[in-house]
Amino acid sequence: MAIYEIRVRQTDVDVIGEGVLHEVRRTLNIPKLKLVRTAKVYRLEGITKKQVELLTKQLFYESINQEFALNSPIIKNPAPNYLIEVAYRPGVMNPEAASIIKSAEDLGIKLLAADSSMEYGFNGKINPKEVTKIVDRFLVNKIVQRIITVKPQTLLIAGKPGPVTTVQIRHASEEELLELSKDKLFLNLEEMKVVQNYFNQLKREPTDCELEIIAARWSEHCGHKTFKAKVIVDGIEKLPLYTRIKEASYPYFGDLVLSAFFDNSGVMRFYEGQAICGKVETHNSPSAIEPYGGAATGSGGVFRDPAGTGQGAEIFASTDMFCFAPWSLKEDDLPTGCLHPDYLQRRVVAGVGDYGNRMGIPTNNGSVHYHPDFKAKPSVIVGAYGILPIKRSKKGKPKKNDLLIMVGGKTGRDGIHGATFSSGEMTERTINVNAAAVQIGNAIEEKRTFDALIEARDKGLVRAITDCGAAGLSSAVGEIGEDIGVTVDISKVPLKYQGLAPWEIWLSEAQERMVLAVNPVNLDKFMDICRKYNVEATILGSFDGTNQLTVNCGKQNVAKLDYKFLKHGLPQRVMKANWEKPHFKEREIQPPKNWARVIKKVLAHGNVCSKEPIIRRYDHGVQGTNVLPPLTGAFLDAPNDAVVLTPILGKDYGVVISHGLNPVLNKIDPYEGSKWAVAEAMANFVAVGGNPQEACLINNYIWPFPDGESMGSLDRCVDAVCDCMHALRRPVISGKDSLSSTYRGKDGTIIKIPPVLCISVFGRIPSVKQTVTSDIKKEGSILCLVGKLDDNLGGSIYFDISGQIGNMGPRIDLEILPNVLKGVYRAIKGSEVLACHDISEGGVITTMAEMCFGGNCGVEISLDKCRPDRFLFNETAGCFLMEVKDKKAAHRLFKDLPHQILGKTIKGKKIRVRQKNKLLFTISVDDLKNAWQAPLKEMF
Amino acid sequence: MGKRIKPSVCVLKTDGINCDRETKHAFDLAGGKTQLVHINELRKGERRLESYEILVIPGGFSYGDDVASGKILAVELNSYLGDQINKFVQRRKGLVLGVCNGFQVLVRTGLLPFGTMGEMQATLGQNDSGHFECRWVSLKVEDNNACVFLEGMKGSVSYQVAHGEGKFFAQPPILERVETEKLVVFRYCDTPGNPTQEYPLNPNGSLNAIAGITDPTGRILGLMPHPERFTRRTQYPNWRRMKNLEPQGLPIFEKMVSYASRM
Repeated sequence: MAIYEIRVRQTDVDVIGEGVLHEVRRTLNIPKLKLVRTAKVYRLEGITKKQVELLTKQLFYESINQEFALNSPIIKNPAPNYLIEVAYRPGVMNPEAASIIKSAEDLGIKLLAADSSMEYGFNGKINPKEVTKIVDRFLVNKIVQRIITVKPQTLLIAGKPGPVTTVQIRHASEEELLELSKDKLFLNLEEMKVVQNYFNQLKREPTDCELEIIAARWSEHCGHKTFKAKVIVDGIEKLPLYTRIKEASYPYFGDLVLSAFFDNSGVMRFYEGQAICGKVETHNSPSAIEPYGGAATGSGGVFRDPAGTGQGAEIFASTDMFCFAPWSLKEDDLPTGCLHPDYLQRRVVAGVGDYGNRMGIPTNNGSVHYHPDFKAKPSVIVGAYGILPIKRSKKGKPKKNDLLIMVGGKTGRDGIHGATFSSGEMTERTINVNAAAVQIGNAIEEKRTFDALIEARDKGLVRAITDCGAAGLSSAVGEIGEDIGVTVDISKVPLKYQGLAPWEIWLSEAQERMVLAVNPVNLDKFMDICRKYNVEATILGSFDGTNQLTVNCGKQNVAKLDYKFLKHGLPQRVMKANWEKPHFKEREIQPPKNWARVIKKVLAHGNVCSKEPIIRRYDHGVQGTNVLPPLTGAFLDAPNDAVVLTPILGKDYGVVISHGLNPVLNKIDPYEGSKWAVAEAMANFVAVGGNPQEACLINNYIWPFPDGESMGSLDRCVDAVCDCMHALRRPVISGKDSLSSTYRGKDGTIIKIPPVLCISVFGRIPSVKQTVTSDIKKEGSILCLVGKLDDNLGGSIYFDISGQIGNMGPRIDLEILPNVLKGVYRAIKGSEVLACHDISEGGVITTMAEMCFGGNCGVEISLDKCRPDRFLFNETAGCFLMEVKDKKAAHRLFKDLPHQILGKTIKGKKIRVRQKNKLLFTISVDDLKNAWQAPLKEMF
Repeated sequence: MGKRIKPSVCVLKTDGINCDRETKHAFDLAGGKTQLVHINELRKGERRLESYEILVIPGGFSYGDDVASGKILAVELNSYLGDQINKFVQRRKGLVLGVCNGFQVLVRTGLLPFGTMGEMQATLGQNDSGHFECRWVSLKVEDNNACVFLEGMKGSVSYQVAHGEGKFFAQPPILERVETEKLVVFRYCDTPGNPTQEYPLNPNGSLNAIAGITDPTGRILGLMPHPERFTRRTQYPNWRRMKNLEPQGLPIFEKMVSYASRM
């Protein structure tokens, strides 16, 4: 059947073309490229020419500022030197195709299939090599896209489903077992032998699907083997990491925590019968090879965690924390098979922004960190927070004869082996072998699914719910049925295209799907709601009380496994850890002669500079809940430490969300570095007015592959987290580990990321009226430092710009910190604080400068006897700069805490620093602000 | 509003609309009787537009903004609800509000600027910057604009924009007619209140700095910025710096409700 091609082009401005040209000029040295023009291409199958003309007029083309061409080129006059069309690969679902088919149907036209793609025309005397460079860098991600060279004959994807095969393992040798595991199951020999034994007991061979179910369930991603392992540190046995975290948390749950660790997110009490929940996830492996799709589906995935908590929560906030290599990395320094950080960063930001924006979930707390050792694998951390009635916040339990229903998107081959893939190390082959493990997101599918689920929840139709994440149905159905047993017919699963083998359907990580247990008496009501929201819902089976997982495909049995074996069969690993503090030479630095130059350099550092251009790409105001956004101050461009939201519209109850992480400090000493991360997260939380006694923590560990050394640093990190919990008397209630951030090159190169502990904090306050921003409010107030600075500068930006890392980072005093946090909270709650900003990367001077940016003013301060640079560039977390009315108030508020009055705020936009009556320097705030804003401005 | 009956407000929902709850909240605050109505309920006849006084298309990404922003929903409205909407506007004298994506939908149905359902006269194209952007902007309320329900609203207001396709564009004769008929209601402006083409004050490069327009009846209003995000003073980022700050988005909803209750 003929395929019609419609090409549409803008006649006013070609914004996309100009954007590509700008990016080529900014990052690639190709001066001869003169012009880039673009066109949208629509392909339609199964309709008449007349119908095509109607669709063109009604749907594709707008005469006001567009032109179109039917089955002919549109980028011409002058003809382009190169014309390249980029489309999604067959099998990668283009969400726009479904919209085109829907809209055509609304116009009375039934399409057989549709697709859309982009065409780029290049003009200029450039050579094919340069074109390839442009295409590879900006236009095509080969994982999901391709260049169209031959006009497709059909848009339909045909295929015959593969058969169910059995795998001979009962008599396999050790080598054969390992060969079977490699690149596919990612289980070690001991685990493979347990599997072998199990089937020997059953006296039969496993099906391919059964092996896949076991491998997914026992993967690091789903099974958390390292965190549950017995740890031997330098010969001495310690409790498993997970046990330590749980045991340290329990004593501090009190009345506040409603659910921790066992549901899809941690839940705490809010107000008026409501609860709030939070979850933070990583999507490092997919983002490393397809940053846009990887990051977008990272957001999509973490949104499904609160949505799959209790009987379902509504998501009211999204957070994003990224670690990349510096964007100025030389092409030659890029490891083989890895993407450039400039491109990675832009595409990750676009992915997170697009998904959250489309979902209507405000993205409003985040940070970006740079270190060269993220050049092989970035850390992409995304969080989601939801609200739900307390009475619907308990994890549901399916009852016998309840129906198993899947809602949301269709299933394709996307994301197969994601769970096992993300648990393996990254190598040069990763980008080729594991292409299928990358998924494409469709935020609108997820949005309408959530809309339907919330209505179903409120009508009491949801017995239990969980999300399809890693390992797809295998883990979702596996989990929801594990206490009762379930029988599933996967031939019922709606497919994107034919040709999937049963194990592929079962393992597919196609996005935007949830599974539920629904009482059969509620089935009709539930289905009506789904229909209203255009959501596909399918009965896959029922809970049967057998305590077995039975998977059928039509009449054929595909898998039959005991839950007991799946849940408890995995042998506990024994992990050896040894950790020796690395030694970094620390060179003595003299205080700068040219203060302005050094301070500007600190402010322009990637970890410190303004992230406004990224923040503006995220809708942080949607839902109308934001009462303390990421940026405030005279020009709405000064940063705040945390976000404050009112998830119940019209009420003053607040949720405060913050986070802290510092990979470099973990490299120096994971124990002290991790304490810093907790202190920073709590300080950010308290700095805006969060109550440190009504806060809960989420911990995420993004670590290199746990060899002895990395296991040693992880052990120290977990000990630090536990010590912090005891000191602060606050619990961790959720978290995740991702222990595969090591890169192995063919030539033997090994790159480990600096270990990342990301601590997120969320909590409640009774009134958002008692919150405070970082911008200085008026002249003549007092600027007071609260908290105890530690004299060590290791890991600081000051050290980094002088070319060293340092041997000791700031040590957080856990005895003082809790009192400081409480004191700061009390002062803010009493409405006696005009502005507050915590000390963090870039040090005291950065905090001060940012407060001046927001106040459009200056400060005049005077230092006690100290090394002025060690004071001004000090990065001890858990310390605050606070603007208060006068000295008397400062002393009264902070009398029991370490504090120091630094000086006062002034109208003139200068930072003036004296020491013992000697003027150290005076710097223009505007100059500092320019230096601070410049770096990311040109990139975004 | 005394003893007058609360006007009924239909806040439209469909796949990808995502500002519906705060929009409903804004109308509730303003004294409306607000319902979220899914387009499928209208298509099936389970609910009818004629039982409402105000129709609102909120912001979001209806159907993913596929093909062009608001396009798929505009086609759907034209195909299934064209008659109902025409009756609602012309005979029932109902009021219509489209915010952000809703404005894009109204323009793509043809309802704005000239009430020609099914015939597009203007467009909202990609921002000149080439990307989505979320920021607070100042808007000048045009004197003597044709909108019938915003009487008394003047000077300038601050609202948040959050869009990637908000550049108002039309061919010169259309633009001229929009101007001469006083259909422009809001323009992006600088601090002194003068309309501006300067980025980012004018965040998308809209011709004549147009941020919001009405139709010749003055009963349909579409705008890119989000008044529903400023119905409480604490929603403005700098409320802590401003003692006498009033929620500047609320008047739009109050005036619509009040006008509708007088009809």
